[in-house]
Amino acid sequence: MNKARQMVTLKDVSLITCIVQKGVADDIVKAASEVGAQGATIFYARGTGVRERLGILGVAVDVEKEVLNIVVANEQVDLIFEKMFLAGKLDTPGMGFMYVTPLLKAATYIPPEILDKLSKENC
Amino acid sequence: MEREIKFFKLIQETSFRRIEISYNNLVRHLERQERIKLEAIDVYRLLYPYVNKRFKEQLVTVIPLVLYLALFQILFLRQTIEDALTITLGIVAVIIGLMLFMEGLIKGLMPFGELLGNKLPQKSRLSTIMLITFLVGVGVTYAEPAMGALKTAGSIVNINKAPYLYVMLNQYGDILPVAVGIGVGIAALLGTLRFLKNWGLKNIIYISLIPTIGLTILSVLNEDLKSTIGLAWDCGAVTTGPVTVPLVLSLGIGVAAASSRGSSTLSGFGIVTLASLFPIIAVLVFANAIYYIAPIDINNLTRLATENGNTELSLFDKTPYLEIILGIRATVPLVLFLLIVLRFVVRERLKNPTYITYGIVLLIIGMIIFNIGLTYGLSNLGNQSGGLVPAAFTRLNGVENSPLYQYSIGLILALIFAFFLGFGATLAEPALNSLGITVENLTNGVFKKSILMYSVSFGVGLGIMLGIVKITFDIPLHLLLIPLYIVGVILTALSSEEYVNVAWDSAGVTTGPVTVPLVLAMGLGFGNALGTTESFGTLSLASICPIISVLSMGLIIKFIVSRKATGEFKNPKGNIIKETV
Repeated sequence: MNKARQMVTLKDVSLITCIVQKGVADDIVKAASEVGAQGATIFYARGTGVRERLGILGVAVDVEKEVLNIVVANEQVDLIFEKMFLAGKLDTPGMGFMYVTPLLKAATYIPPEILDKLSKENC
Repeated sequence: MEREIKFFKLIQETSFRRIEISYNNLVRHLERQERIKLEAIDVYRLLYPYVNKRFKEQLVTVIPLVLYLALFQILFLRQTIEDALTITLGIVAVIIGLMLFMEGLIKGLMPFGELLGNKLPQKSRLSTIMLITFLVGVGVTYAEPAMGALKTAGSIVNINKAPYLYVMLNQYGDILPVAVGIGVGIAALLGTLRFLKNWGLKNIIYISLIPTIGLTILSVLNEDLKSTIGLAWDCGAVTTGPVTVPLVLSLGIGVAAASSRGSSTLSGFGIVTLASLFPIIAVLVFANAIYYIAPIDINNLTRLATENGNTELSLFDKTPYLEIILGIRATVPLVLFLLIVLRFVVRERLKNPTYITYGIVLLIIGMIIFNIGLTYGLSNLGNQSGGLVPAAFTRLNGVENSPLYQYSIGLILALIFAFFLGFGATLAEPALNSLGITVENLTNGVFKKSILMYSVSFGVGLGIMLGIVKITFDIPLHLLLIPLYIVGVILTALSSEEYVNVAWDSAGVTTGPVTVPLVLAMGLGFGNALGTTESFGTLSLASICPIISVLSMGLIIKFIVSRKATGEFKNPKGNIIKETV
């Protein structure tokens, strides 16, 4: 019963961060999950930027934002990035901003059966 | 691992254009913070979600209610809806008007409230703050969208049966909002003082109820003033709407926070309660003042009313100009007052004047459109179905085969109709949802959001049902209100401070700008069809009943929790042993 605790570190991971208006994040998470994102963390935030340069139309842009953090595999990053871009309609002024950062490593719970499979493949 | 290419990825690859540029270059071009040039499609894509979201917000609160009224009329009363086109257009106007108004409120008026609440206490003495709070209280009452419903209601009142009520709503129709406003002003003042001095709400409720009930009894004893009681009590429910509550609250909380004494989690509560009690006092005082200072001559009055002809009496002989004037008169003074205070007392400038101006313009336009919709849509529909519902159990001229049902069945049907009208309308009110969340946090999840929402809605439903009973059997309002308030006071004495705050505020929070005119008009139409003297009072019953239902629910929950707690202490074995293994 007294199993030694272990940590599995993941390599080849990237972080997609996407800043959108409040209320839009859920749609983007849905789109990202459809193409393989495993989960998302959403922060609430406030921010400025394009809104101030839109003139009176700036009222249509909410000051309150949602910041999405999605950790993805390097292989998936381009696909998910583009899907999120389209789902968030980021090609419209004031809709948001997104970027990818490379991550050195990540760690979380990995199901043991998948871990077994993977270690066999690597050997 | 897998070497397959997904088909959609291929399509994407061919249809989606990617360009890479250096951010260095982009920044160089963006150095001057110039305006972005928008193409039509961008404007559309920018505005569509913005408008869509706000439109839907109002749609979901208005449509179910309207459908309910219309379907009841068609299915159970088997009557077609008269002026269906006018009503539909009116309802659309209500939705659009409310949408613009609420957006204007958030963008235009709320920044004032927040700025004043934060800065005023730092820059002024307590007496100045109190004066400004009072005046804001008066101003917000004018800007309350539901206030327009009173004006409309005035034209339905029978001049011979209730002369003083008629006079208050018509001849003195412009002074009535002032009286109500003074009531709200005093409430705002007391509410803010309460935050500063940390007074308990219980005592304030007891003390404010003494003059309220006292004046009511005084008016009951006076045959001429009897008819004004319903109006007075209903005014309390009308005032606590979407303008008063957030603006007065943000002022009060700001003042309390600045004095750093309002540490309790309950700060913010109580003003709504006071704002629904003090207008009652103010209106009753107003009625008595007319009676003793300028008593009216009924003959003279009837002559005047007939001379003025139908223009004064008819509901629909109004031009849109009237609504425009009303809309401007409701909003502009408040905005100007806030601006002057901000400029000369607080000496602060608003950030983003463009957005604020935009908000204020929306506020005024929204108010005008809402007022038009109120007259032609909500009041019209409410009055119509209210006038037809009695056909279920009694003979009505103009309705074929009435009574439509046996007396008892018809009456029960009418009561069920009233109950679900109140229940549904309250449940859909967005303010109730946010109150529910606050309460759940406040009581650490003991008082669930859904429980609060259902008990408030149940109370309102019961109240409107009682209102119908009152009108049907012509029961004097005080015979219902006074016992109910006594029950309320007893329950208040038994409950803890938190539940008292929540319960007394819940009543005011939930009577929004759609429910109030609809219920008011329905009651009036109902009463008119039955030929009762005055048909006000339904709203006031819909205010006290949720107080009682929430307080009782609070006591029940307390009882259950305390029983559970003792039960667990008696039998602590199971869980703990499991966890240690």
